[in-house]
Amino acid sequence: MADITVSKPEAGGRKAPLLLRIYDWLATGDHKKIGIMYLWFSFVMAFAGGAFAGIIRGQLATPDTGLVSPEFYNMIISMHATLMIFFVIIPALTGFGNYFVPLLIGARDMAFPRLNAFSFWLAVPAAILMFASFFTAGGANQAGWTAYPPLSLTSFSAGAGMDMWILGVILIGTSSILGAINFIVTTANMRAPGMNWFKMPLFVWSWLVNASMILIATPVLSAAVSMLLADRLFGTGFVTVSQGGDPLLYQHLFWFYSHPAVYIMILPGFGMISHVLASFSHKKIFGYKGMVIALALIGIIGYTVWAHHMFVAGIPAWLQVVFSMLTMVIAIPTGIKIFSWLATIWGGTIRFTTAMKFGLGFISLFIIGGMSGIVLANVASDYQFHDSYFVVAHFHYVLVGGSIMTLMAGTYYWFPKMAGKMLSEKLGNWIFWMIYIGLNVTFFPMHFMGIQGMARRIFRYRPEFAELNMLSSIGYVFMLVGGILLLYDLVRTVFFKKDEDLSADPWGVNDVQQTLDWEVSSPPPAYNFEKIPEIK
Amino acid sequence: MSRVKSLVLLTIFVLIMSVGAFAQEQSGDITNWIDEPATPLAEDVRSNFFLTLALILPFLLLAEGLLIYVIIKFRKRPGREPAKFHENVRLEIAWTIAPAIVLVIIALSTYSLIERINYAPQSDMTVEVTAQRFFWKYHYPEHDITIAEEPLVVPEDTYVTLLGTSMDVIHAWWVPAFGVKKDFMPGRITELWFKARKGTYKGQCAELCGPLHADMLIDVEVVSEEEFEDWIAQKKAELQQAGSVPVSGDDEKGDESSKQQAN
Repeated sequence: MADITVSKPEAGGRKAPLLLRIYDWLATGDHKKIGIMYLWFSFVMAFAGGAFAGIIRGQLATPDTGLVSPEFYNMIISMHATLMIFFVIIPALTGFGNYFVPLLIGARDMAFPRLNAFSFWLAVPAAILMFASFFTAGGANQAGWTAYPPLSLTSFSAGAGMDMWILGVILIGTSSILGAINFIVTTANMRAPGMNWFKMPLFVWSWLVNASMILIATPVLSAAVSMLLADRLFGTGFVTVSQGGDPLLYQHLFWFYSHPAVYIMILPGFGMISHVLASFSHKKIFGYKGMVIALALIGIIGYTVWAHHMFVAGIPAWLQVVFSMLTMVIAIPTGIKIFSWLATIWGGTIRFTTAMKFGLGFISLFIIGGMSGIVLANVASDYQFHDSYFVVAHFHYVLVGGSIMTLMAGTYYWFPKMAGKMLSEKLGNWIFWMIYIGLNVTFFPMHFMGIQGMARRIFRYRPEFAELNMLSSIGYVFMLVGGILLLYDLVRTVFFKKDEDLSADPWGVNDVQQTLDWEVSSPPPAYNFEKIPEIK
Repeated sequence: MSRVKSLVLLTIFVLIMSVGAFAQEQSGDITNWIDEPATPLAEDVRSNFFLTLALILPFLLLAEGLLIYVIIKFRKRPGREPAKFHENVRLEIAWTIAPAIVLVIIALSTYSLIERINYAPQSDMTVEVTAQRFFWKYHYPEHDITIAEEPLVVPEDTYVTLLGTSMDVIHAWWVPAFGVKKDFMPGRITELWFKARKGTYKGQCAELCGPLHADMLIDVEVVSEEEFEDWIAQKKAELQQAGSVPVSGDDEKGDESSKQQAN
């Protein structure tokens, strides 16, 4: 099923030579190793994206610090978003999916291990293209991560940087599409005997819904940016006005992907957090079926709301009504999930492990992000807040408070399983509070900046906004310290700490959780299961 | 209890911050629209925003409150067993329906406004706006005046319709105090309207349009009827004085002459 494993260090035995071990990783088709490579990849990218965020907050600390040029600032905001979305959050979730979906359904590997490796190795050249674009004449993409034409057309973004950005997006998109096919086939065909649809753990469900979304939405993004590329390179007229094209066409296609993408960035997180909350409050997940239905509903309704990004773009009023209504409808399944999580912890015996802290922190932040989402779904408010810092606050609460917090929870929860060692809980406490306080101090003031009228994507601003921006920039420092502590602990534990001989269930959670990941040894052996388990 | 303490401290901090944010508003700056919206529409937008907040804040507080309660109440202590329940259909139906009702109320309050935001009830005056990196050009068709890189001047309490397009990339015209924002695109004409009180208002381009996007500012002077007439007369005189260029007709030339004036 999977390909050969060249070397597996036996307990107490000598390790294989370094080169052989490296080759073993590079050539692997093992879903666990690919998962771990995805996780390291996104972690490295997170530091690049985080450094870019530092430049942004540095420039904005005062009304005009003059830290960077306006051109470079626009490159940085565009690449910060591109990296964080396509190269950090989505690959990190894919990494956990790769590692744990086969484990949780009792399979020995993904359905197509080679394709799985190929998906990962497509992400690497995509990242290289992104970084290399900085060194082209004219520099990287300056048109924002949305790359709206005409700003992204050759007349205003000459130079190869934009072309490389487009190719990078197509490559990483192809990587996700292939990965999604693999997840769907794996989940559909390789569940252990007895595991029917409603016995699948929520993380598997969340990935199934997620993969279906990727499969439908991502090709549309590729189509949109391909049109852009064709207009740029071959003079076609899909979105070029002078050729009879329409910039609004691009916006529709772009958001047809990019709105579902926000759910692609959170659904697997929802799945992970369900495991974490149930485990550390020592209870079964509350309302499992409701949770599954909510996931599916979010997946479906997520497709019908894209034009809420275009309320002020001149779409007809009746369309604004329709898209506003559908956007609000999504709040209902999301609310079901939040209340079900609260009910899951209710009456439990909560252990405040670092994973659990991130889980509880996630709930507290996601509530805020969800509520500001309702404000934006309201057309009248959106007319005021669209493209203001209110929007920036909203999506950072959802993406950092949501996706990143769930990823952190997942990392602390599953690290012992993947590494066979524990991360430091003491440092974990510091990391949690640094990130939690830091992100509130950074992003909460942005609500007020937006309400007061500060536009987004500006590199200098009117002095009225100075105090709040300074506060926001101070918050960034907290998050940076948290990130560096995490890097330190991960490197120290993974590369320098001795194996700890952990049991299969080091958290002691599987009497309630009853998922297969805590049945196999930590880390799991090659091919996961000696005998495919049967689910009662 | 240190965790609880930190949470309390954080909440207090957030509250102080929000009070501070509102307290620093002064009249005349861009941040004062929430205190003094300049148009009836902006007032409606503001009350709609506050209504939305009033409807969702109870849910926010309920959810956060429950979370804090759970964190304090259900900590692991020796001798306490975790509860065994894991479903309650009635509860699940309740928390599906309650938010749905609230959303219907928010939706209804908004939908009465959408019509008003998008379509002017009447139009006393039209100004044609051409956005260009990185300034705005305003043309008064009734007076045959074109100005650029200058504040837009309009009379008070007048229904002004802006018909906007762009010469190059997408720009968005946004004056927070008017409660409106609209994208101006090449190849399309979009419109927005306002009826403002007397005053000076600031705004800025709200759609990323290139390196100097941050500097594409908007100034609007809403003046009395007489002042407006004077301003029109003065502009006409200036344009005629600027030389042989006939005032009527060609936008480009009118634009250039007005720029010379500005210099």
